Amino acid sequence: MRPSMTYRTIQHLIGYAFAVLSLYPVFLMIASSFKTTIAIFTHPLALPEKISFVAYDKLLDQMPFGHYLWNSVLVSGASVALILISSAFAAYYISRTHYKWNSALLFIFLLGMMIPIKLGIVPLFLLMKNLGLSNTLWSLILIYTAIGIPLGIMIMAGFFKTLPKELEEAGRIDGCNDMQILSRIVIPLMRPAIGTVMIINFVTAWNDFFFPLIFIQDEVMKTIQVGMMSLFGEYESDWSTLFAGLTLASLPMVLMFVFASRQFMDGMTAGAVK
Amino acid sequence: MDNQPKRLNQRKWSIHLFPIPALAIYLLFIVYPIIAAFSYSLYDWQGIKRLSFVGVSNFKKLLTVEPFNTMFQNALEHNVIYFVVQMVVQNGFAFLLAYFIYQRIKGSGFLKVAYFLPRLLSVIVVGFLWKLILNPTYGTLNVLLDKLGLDALALTWLGDPNTALLSIILVNCWFGVGLSLLIFLAGLQSIPSEIIEAARLDGVKGFRMIATMILPLIMQPLIMITVLTFIQSFEAFELVYAMQGSMGGPYYSTDTLAVFFYRTAFGGSSDGSASIGIGSALAVVMFALIAVITAFFLALTRKVNRS
Amino acid sequence: MKRLFSSAVILLLMSAVLAACGGNNNKEVSGSSESPSSSSSSSPSSSNASTGEKVKLTMGSWRTDDKAVYEKIIKEFNKQYPNIEIEFAPTKSTEYNAVLSTALQTASGPDIIHLRPYAAGIALGEAGYIEPINDLKGLDVFSKDVLAASTGKDGKTYGVPMALNIVAIMYNKDLFAKYNLAEPKTWDELIQISKTLKENDVTPFAMGTKDSWILSLTQGAIGPSIYGGTEFAQGLVSGQKKFTDPAYVKSLQTMKDLQEFFPDKYTGIGSEDMRTLFVTGQAAMYVMGDFDLSVVKSMNPEMNVDVFPVPSQSAGGSPTVTTYVDGSYAVNTYSKHKEEAKKFLEFTTTKEFGNLFANEMKRVSPIPGVVASDPLVAKYAGFADSISTPYVMVTNFNGGNPTTKVTLENEMQAMYFGKKTPDEVAQAVQSITDTWFKP
Repeated sequence: MRPSMTYRTIQHLIGYAFAVLSLYPVFLMIASSFKTTIAIFTHPLALPEKISFVAYDKLLDQMPFGHYLWNSVLVSGASVALILISSAFAAYYISRTHYKWNSALLFIFLLGMMIPIKLGIVPLFLLMKNLGLSNTLWSLILIYTAIGIPLGIMIMAGFFKTLPKELEEAGRIDGCNDMQILSRIVIPLMRPAIGTVMIINFVTAWNDFFFPLIFIQDEVMKTIQVGMMSLFGEYESDWSTLFAGLTLASLPMVLMFVFASRQFMDGMTAGAVK
Repeated sequence: MDNQPKRLNQRKWSIHLFPIPALAIYLLFIVYPIIAAFSYSLYDWQGIKRLSFVGVSNFKKLLTVEPFNTMFQNALEHNVIYFVVQMVVQNGFAFLLAYFIYQRIKGSGFLKVAYFLPRLLSVIVVGFLWKLILNPTYGTLNVLLDKLGLDALALTWLGDPNTALLSIILVNCWFGVGLSLLIFLAGLQSIPSEIIEAARLDGVKGFRMIATMILPLIMQPLIMITVLTFIQSFEAFELVYAMQGSMGGPYYSTDTLAVFFYRTAFGGSSDGSASIGIGSALAVVMFALIAVITAFFLALTRKVNRS
Repeated sequence: MKRLFSSAVILLLMSAVLAACGGNNNKEVSGSSESPSSSSSSSPSSSNASTGEKVKLTMGSWRTDDKAVYEKIIKEFNKQYPNIEIEFAPTKSTEYNAVLSTALQTASGPDIIHLRPYAAGIALGEAGYIEPINDLKGLDVFSKDVLAASTGKDGKTYGVPMALNIVAIMYNKDLFAKYNLAEPKTWDELIQISKTLKENDVTPFAMGTKDSWILSLTQGAIGPSIYGGTEFAQGLVSGQKKFTDPAYVKSLQTMKDLQEFFPDKYTGIGSEDMRTLFVTGQAAMYVMGDFDLSVVKSMNPEMNVDVFPVPSQSAGGSPTVTTYVDGSYAVNTYSKHKEEAKKFLEFTTTKEFGNLFANEMKRVSPIPGVVASDPLVAKYAGFADSISTPYVMVTNFNGGNPTTKVTLENEMQAMYFGKKTPDEVAQAVQSITDTWFKP
């Protein structure tokens, strides 16, 4: 029993209309960044007549874009690595041992997913300062790690539960200890869960602007989002530069997505439906 | 079960080190700051200077004294609207589109990428981008509507209390539809095809198929999406802030609890009205609200899992 | 690509695990997980502090667009004090308060602080975060009115006044010439001009109500012409007059009536759009402070702009411009280099600094005897000397929670949506004022 022709047509119509709706604003952002501000105001819909790099020249000239980019990569990458390592150990403990406090431990971690940590910004700032971390990238790496741990543990603990016990038993019979079981047997099987934790947290850390805004004062220590956002004070009416700034802030992530879209999409959801 | 103790005995004490790094980072940077922030709610503040211990009077003020109580109620209503509209529009469309892809619509690979792409922009970028698009005079949307002869529909999107909140929520839906879609899709694809085939042979099709066969089988992703949407809509801040500023304007029509918190804790952009005591009380109330309702959803998941 | 992506992570993870996993042969991958971030914390910025007795100060500000000018000013300052290095580190205006108050609560923050004027800045001072500077050399050049912007009830002064903001009506000279219009001397003439412009499809006022601060600013400029300027303002401050007095209500009604001369969809128009309407010649008049002049000029250097004061509604009444002090330079109590920071503050009281500020920034310096080279800025300044009236919402009513000023702004937005009458607006403003204001 095949769906009718009309149904098929409507389905495609809706599907593609939605795709246009999803992509057009992003396309508009990129296209407008190559137009002059005057052209944006007078012909907002037209494609750029000739590609103008004025806005980009202005931006790259005035701000240390290279620093911003590097800082963002460093912060997102390091926090993802720390999340993976620390959550993998904790999740293994929670789901593969049988102590009576394990479920309480899991609950404490899960509670973290509901904590709006931005509400604790003042004590957090004070803590960073006392640890000598304020105005360093470590402050960002640590807070993103802390934010990512609950979800990381939830996903990985869920994943560990699905692994057959026999694998582990076999390892134990061969004389492996916990550390060896985890590293030699379990982790190689965990690729989907690792991908999920990695991508969700990378995107979160990359796109955050709140913590660097409060924690970082030095221009050369800023991340891309905060660096670009200061534009909105400086070039309020210069739409061309604004669009260029938005494009630069989004481009690295969009490019990565274009190259590895399947990893991204699987990653964002694989753990969620386990 | 009976060989459990033996296995345990084989474990070295060092196994207990496993959860320590995660626990330490988590307690230090999440739990401690939030508890400290909560304690602020029990003190009186003059601007940003802490005065004496006042018990629950900040909570009383927040919930009973004008204008805080009206603002609180107003913002809470907006969060509820936020949640409901997102559930209906964002997740409704997400399900529909996921179902299309599940039915192998042509070019589904491309479509998935297209729907998901906005999710990779930062919320702040999304906010500023749409603020420019929705600009009443120079924005693309109104120019487009004008060109199509629909100038009656070219509204003052963000400048009118009747449309501002809805505009922001719809932008949020634009941003979030891709993720919900992927979760739905993963749920749909995990349904054993024999079940669907068997139902089809019994003559079940169309909406009856969705309602009686498919929905019950994707309860778990549905609850997952509901929880995510709930937490996100009750913490809604960046989009409102980027598009309307810290006042939740015009005339508080887009105020949410988180924006209200930001405004009370830090003051507006140029005035000295910061009130950390009341802001922290608000934070406690928000946390309690989110935690209780999320716990309810999670309990529901467990029930679904068991059955 | 995908393989690379995921296997890199697995490698990273494995290596860390193996490193911890004792007796195995894992020499080549020892502990590489820490390396991507470890180089980050050693910042390059602190390295030059060690050379000689040089100290490095930071200056916090919300003036992101003034970066280049401050760098020039600091260079001038360094001619006298080569050992005091200053980094200008502004934060976007809307986030400045949050960033600054978080920093101050934790006993940190920039050494030199741009302090918000009146209540907001004074509150930081009274909370003990700002160093009082009553005995600062050079502070005595300022008048009491100007110092009021950074002086608490206890008489302690916390900052050196930065600039005088003057609000009047900018207009497009070419458009006025095109339709044979002259600067209005009376309120009726202003209305007549607006009508003529509107008949010719030119928007009379570049005005929008989306950004709430615009509302109190415009009301602060237009209002005095209706309720009678400084005298009424003093009455408000001394408690003899109330916002619910008919004169004030009438000023709100006038603001509402002006909406016929506002652009289409003005409720969605923010401050940047207002400026764009004005510089592109779509709107002819722009109620705005002198601080916006440099941006207007930079957006359209050819534009022929001039300015006139707000004419009085009563026959024979004097026109007015509305003035207030915009911010001040202050010293953070927690600064490790207070003496050096004070040296910079001393510098900001000099005529030399005033001239630099006025000419580079194209704004009005509060330092007596400083004359702006830009004729239009000078014209603004001339008004301020003769026909100025205080911007009471900023100078006296920026207190309370929410503040009286914020209440006025939001209630006026509601008024333009037809949700509140001018009477109701006045009542709301008065009732919030009653909760905190003592005459």
